[in-house]
Amino acid sequence: MPIVEKSLVEGLQRTETLEVEGIDVSGDWNTFIASRVHTDLDLSIVDWVRGQPQGTTIDRCWQCGTCTAGCCLHTDYGLEEFNPRYFIYLAQLGFEKELARYAQTVWRCVSCNKCVERCPKGVKVEEVVHSIGTYLELSGTAPKSPADRFDEAYTRNLLERGILDEAGLFQAFEAGEGRTLPTREKLRMGLKLLFSGRLHTGPLAKRTRGWGRLRPVLERMLAEDLAGRRRGLPSRRPPTGGP
Amino acid sequence: MSGATSPPGETPAYYPGCSMDGLGKAYEVSCQMVLGTLGLPLDRIEEYNCCGATEVKNLSHDVSVALPSRNLALARGMGRRTVVAACNGCVYSLARANDAMADPATSARINARLAEGGAPAYDGSAEIRHVLEYIRQRAGAAGVRAAVTAPLKGIRVAPYYGCLYSRPKRYTKVGLEPGRDNPESPYFLDELLEACGADVVRDYPAKTICCGGGHALSDLDVSVAFSASVLNEAKRAGADVVATICPLGQINIENNLDRIRQSFGEEVLLPVAYFTQLMALAFGRSVREARLRYNFSRPDLFFRARGFA
Repeated sequence: MPIVEKSLVEGLQRTETLEVEGIDVSGDWNTFIASRVHTDLDLSIVDWVRGQPQGTTIDRCWQCGTCTAGCCLHTDYGLEEFNPRYFIYLAQLGFEKELARYAQTVWRCVSCNKCVERCPKGVKVEEVVHSIGTYLELSGTAPKSPADRFDEAYTRNLLERGILDEAGLFQAFEAGEGRTLPTREKLRMGLKLLFSGRLHTGPLAKRTRGWGRLRPVLERMLAEDLAGRRRGLPSRRPPTGGP
Repeated sequence: MSGATSPPGETPAYYPGCSMDGLGKAYEVSCQMVLGTLGLPLDRIEEYNCCGATEVKNLSHDVSVALPSRNLALARGMGRRTVVAACNGCVYSLARANDAMADPATSARINARLAEGGAPAYDGSAEIRHVLEYIRQRAGAAGVRAAVTAPLKGIRVAPYYGCLYSRPKRYTKVGLEPGRDNPESPYFLDELLEACGADVVRDYPAKTICCGGGHALSDLDVSVAFSASVLNEAKRAGADVVATICPLGQINIENNLDRIRQSFGEEVLLPVAYFTQLMALAFGRSVREARLRYNFSRPDLFFRARGFA
């Protein structure tokens, strides 16, 4: 069993093949966690997460690790440092400094919801982990991730007409990330989709009737929620990034 | 939400979602064919809106509940209790809205906003079904078998359910009510494909893994790796073709084909088709009618080579 919190272990040595006097002693060495005292714990993160509608269930977590054991990123994809149980633990502890090590990791949850399915305590793990990621981003610990940018592009796109313009979203997001398909490839795909009636973008984009009335209300709700989640952030760092 | 089932004679409302009317058109067309053959009509919710999938909730909880609630309110306004959707993402977000609207404070808050925007109020009483579950519940394997005229004999199919079809059960109620699928080890698709005469592969460990579709564009490493393992595990189990039940899964896997080929090699690739396309073939429809050519993985070539017209 690998040591998951290996970041707490100083000088961990992993050996594939180590033989001493004919005896196989390969594996993890120096795995003792040196005793340490942390004084820089700050509970504002768990207070903030608990205050979000997506994060209210964080306090129910009793650290069994069922979420991590089944997590598709942790197990199937093999991203060992993606450990939802540990993220929740660090948030509950207010151990932001340690959590900051995972600033490039937390956002990678793909929302498969196996953790929510299996949690014996009813923690909405996936949404709690997203909230932790949002906190890291809003408090300036983590940069805005591609997934954050995609969520924003998606939401903007659908609020426009009520119906998602899939091709428009694809193009807008890819362009924003500085990626473009080769023109020939784009033409080939575009024509195939167009002639099979699957391309509803630009002037062909679909629209929900009556959307004009609901849209401003939803836009206002979104703006309020985006402003609301900035409340309760620690003032020690200026928030960075977009909404 | 009560566990009461809707009256058996009721024609459920159908929530297409953006994909069925867009990139997932082959799914929509073949779905209607299959439902027509089986005599299972659905009444489309006109002027529906996007459900918000798994993206909107990361920005605003209330918007992510209001979007599906409007659609469910429209269905209830049509007098329907059961709402059928064909996309796993839609099933998830519609069912999640039900869960949220069970809270009186949330319900009051969301309905006030919907009213402000001229949308009907939603009382949380709709029941959400994936079209796969709907077909299995209403027609059953026997009903499907009776409609088969061109059995998929000797076609080895890997049943790929993906993630949000059944989970989490606290939203979808799958596994919590009688007659529903198994949330951890679903088998309804296996049954329907077997009823179509297909040779459904056993021991397909990837059947409920994530396709990475939620991060199809924002995390290519993950989405390519997951799409590749959906295909690779199918291949290892001996499948000729992968059956999907979700437009996002289908589109994500097919959008990644070139990258899968580059990273994992040609031998991993398999044709991928919506389960309703396969059922339409078994019901005697042609490869063309089932729109198999729309799929970028070209299952049309495979089925023509196997003698399907």
